[in-house]
Amino acid sequence: MKQLVIDFAKCNAGRDCAHECEMECAVRVFKVDDPAQAALQIKAYEAGGGHAVLCDQCGDCVVVCPTEALKRNKLGVVMIDKKLCVGCYMCIGFCEKDAFMRNSDWITPHKCTSCGICVKVCPHGALSIVEVPEPAPRII
Amino acid sequence: MIVVNEEPLDWHEGMTVRDVLRAKNYRFPMLIIHVDGLLIPKPDYDTAPVPDGAVVQVIHLISGG
Amino acid sequence: MSQLVFDPSKVMPIDYTQRTEYLDGLEAFKAGCRVLKELAYTPSLPDKGYNNRTLYVNVATLEITEKPVTQQMKDVFIGGRGFGLYHLWNAVKPTTRWNDPENEIIISPGPVCGMTQYAGTGKSLVVSLSPQTDIPIDSNVGGFFGPLLKFSGFDALELQGKADRDVILFIDGVKGILRVEEAPAGPVDSHVLGELLTHLYAENEADLPNVSVVTSGAAAEHSLIGMLNFSFYDRRRGCVRFKQAGRGGIGTVFRNKRIRALVVRGPKVAGDLNHPADPETIAKTGVKYHKEIREQDPHQCMMRRNGTAHIVEIMNAYDLLPVHNFQFGSHPDTHRIDSSYWQQRCTQATVDGCWYGCSMACAKGADGVVLKTGPYQGHMVTVDGPEYENAAGLGSNCGVFDPDALLELNFYCDTYGICTITYGTLTAFIMECYQRGILNLERTGGLDLTWGNAAADLEMMHQMARGEGFGKIAGLGVKKMKEHFIRNGWGDPQLINDIGMENKGLEYSQYMSKESLAQQGGYALTNKGPQHDEAWLIFMDMVNKQLPTFEAKAEALYYFPLFRTWFGLNGFCKLPWNDVVPADNSSQPEPQKVPEHVQNYVDLFTATTGIQITKDDLIMQSARVYNFQRVFNIRMGKGLRLHDAAPYRSLGPVTREEYESRAERYDKQLLDELGIDPAGKSTEEKMALHRTWRTDRFSKLMDSVYTRRGWTLDGVPTLARLKELGLDAFPEVVAVVKQFT
Repeated sequence: MKQLVIDFAKCNAGRDCAHECEMECAVRVFKVDDPAQAALQIKAYEAGGGHAVLCDQCGDCVVVCPTEALKRNKLGVVMIDKKLCVGCYMCIGFCEKDAFMRNSDWITPHKCTSCGICVKVCPHGALSIVEVPEPAPRII
Repeated sequence: MIVVNEEPLDWHEGMTVRDVLRAKNYRFPMLIIHVDGLLIPKPDYDTAPVPDGAVVQVIHLISGG
Repeated sequence: MSQLVFDPSKVMPIDYTQRTEYLDGLEAFKAGCRVLKELAYTPSLPDKGYNNRTLYVNVATLEITEKPVTQQMKDVFIGGRGFGLYHLWNAVKPTTRWNDPENEIIISPGPVCGMTQYAGTGKSLVVSLSPQTDIPIDSNVGGFFGPLLKFSGFDALELQGKADRDVILFIDGVKGILRVEEAPAGPVDSHVLGELLTHLYAENEADLPNVSVVTSGAAAEHSLIGMLNFSFYDRRRGCVRFKQAGRGGIGTVFRNKRIRALVVRGPKVAGDLNHPADPETIAKTGVKYHKEIREQDPHQCMMRRNGTAHIVEIMNAYDLLPVHNFQFGSHPDTHRIDSSYWQQRCTQATVDGCWYGCSMACAKGADGVVLKTGPYQGHMVTVDGPEYENAAGLGSNCGVFDPDALLELNFYCDTYGICTITYGTLTAFIMECYQRGILNLERTGGLDLTWGNAAADLEMMHQMARGEGFGKIAGLGVKKMKEHFIRNGWGDPQLINDIGMENKGLEYSQYMSKESLAQQGGYALTNKGPQHDEAWLIFMDMVNKQLPTFEAKAEALYYFPLFRTWFGLNGFCKLPWNDVVPADNSSQPEPQKVPEHVQNYVDLFTATTGIQITKDDLIMQSARVYNFQRVFNIRMGKGLRLHDAAPYRSLGPVTREEYESRAERYDKQLLDELGIDPAGKSTEEKMALHRTWRTDRFSKLMDSVYTRRGWTLDGVPTLARLKELGLDAFPEVVAVVKQFT
């Protein structure tokens, strides 16, 4: 399956860039001019270094979704079908990585779909889409 | 001798909170335990000592349909 | 905290998509339906939780009208059980009985119902005059009917009249159609009829989850213990499943009105159909709760794995599991029907939950059950549960420890439309009568109803469904059976009354109250009868010793019944309140109330309706409806102190073997509590001493509880209490109480 990964050897957690990845995702994928709505969030630690909140397509949300609105596509990426979603947010609550997101204006939640738009704009080339084996579904 | 929920219980050297639960057959998963007024967190049940003469309160919450 | 993952190899390899199908007769059934009345209406969606209209249908005259929901209704009764009681009060007279045409069945979802972001928000409340108690009964039920009714435009459905032929009421909340149809001959039992109607009224495959059906079953037609099934479509199983409005015989009223089914087809559900005042607070509270379930539930009750059955082994360990008609509190075979078994037997790889967003997901299902008896012998079915009440009631209380037999009993109770709790308790009573010679083979018409004889038990249930033999007598319930056995001179009247576990005509649910005075009140001092949904105080009282005085017990019997009433006013389920608790709950004041969750409820109500309330207001909202219901009982000729009397089995040891099974405890009580040395006394003498003491303290408890509740010592709410609650605005309510002043 396709997975977005970040290399913190190259990414300085936004200290020497303009968070181009977040902005590109927000504008081009979600059509909003607000990087806080992006499906990946780069957080800097005060003590140095940082971490990224992003979806690794683990599939826990697919297991808990009551309406089968979440399914893997042909590339193994977990996609949301907004027509089926009832906005219960169990996907958000059951995501260990806090990668499923919501905002006040949309009733359906959203997340990274490994589309790769952010990869192209990273000035340090820290982001990439990789092919990894699909994990077995977990009963949680 | 210690007191658990107002009932006496024999004490032994090295007694832990877990030993008390075992002795009383308290198997319910949602408990709040105080030993001499001090709250014992769940991860410490196996190791938290219960001294001789201690007053132990094991509050069972409520569950079920 | 890292995620605890369930090991799928622990579960039996059963294909949860396979079962017997019942769609063969679909076209014939469709062709056989005849429209009796049809009219168009304008569907609506709620605004801040309310549509502000209810639907009235008279199945005899075919009158179909809309009624406005007034501001007073919302202020005083909130919704759900409150609306049900309000409509029922206006529909009946003090002389009305369950099978009179003016009796109603009211289904009301409550303002919060239909929310999809928090667990346990799909409940409706069903209210009717009960055939078992002759007073109002209320039953809290899941499934999709309530939410879809609301999203079709109605805050309540009032059903009145008695049809002269079987009818189906269809509410199409998408096209705006209300239709009463004559139902052709055909299935009555829920698992067949529910599946058939779901497929019949859904426009296509994708529409199946938008249809919900209310049905009963064959045994509801021949007994007083009928129940209603509320359906929901389980997408992963491809199966129509049910939750039950079980207690008090509402299914019997339903079939007596010759209603075969209610069908609602609602719009496709979305997260904002309630149009809440403050969706952001609801979303935040919901996500916070889902996270709490994910992190805490695997370390606490494991509700997602086991549902309520997780307490079977707990009750057994604390000597509280009803065994052999509440005589004993544990049994060596309990491990065969406890959650360690059900965890393997119930499907775990799918999503359970009787409404969207229920992360607690206790609605477990056992798939691939091949039936061994009855009209569906050889069919493969999915069985709901078993919940704790079913494992205890149909299982240990009757000495049935064979899990396959238990599943079959559970299945037939459900599809025949009878209450599992009631059936369990009445069968336990019958089996004890059989043990003690009050019943025998001749009197049961050949049914050998010894403890644990599941074959005879099942045959009695099939008789009930056919309206034959001893099954028909059993279907009268414990109260009427007691009268019947005594009238026939079959045994000592005192013994029969002592061991028949009913109060107000309703059977006890499945907990042993004998060693907890507070729970004796929790069962007997209830509005509708002995159901644990008002108060479950056994741990607080008996194990924790947190309620040492009459005043402390009375305070608990004031607060908890009112707090728990509130769920039923709003469309909430009780379980998410305290079957998981926040990680820091233990360091909160009054942790048994789960203060963070109470605040969640306050926030969810306010965020839905836009009405600011506090934790104290929540209790006041309940107190209005609770006292209204008490006055309603009095209006119907019940509801006084004498009607709160409890069978002695619920208060103490009736028989020698019961006393001796706990002799150490009972002897110690004689010494400590009564100052009497038990040495040298016979068991009979000691039992008599206990009886006097226990009966007396129950009476003292009544005094304390009534006083705390603002009632007279005869159990009547005082005028001052009614004024405090604003119920003096209803002259009819005041008039009922005035007779007693």
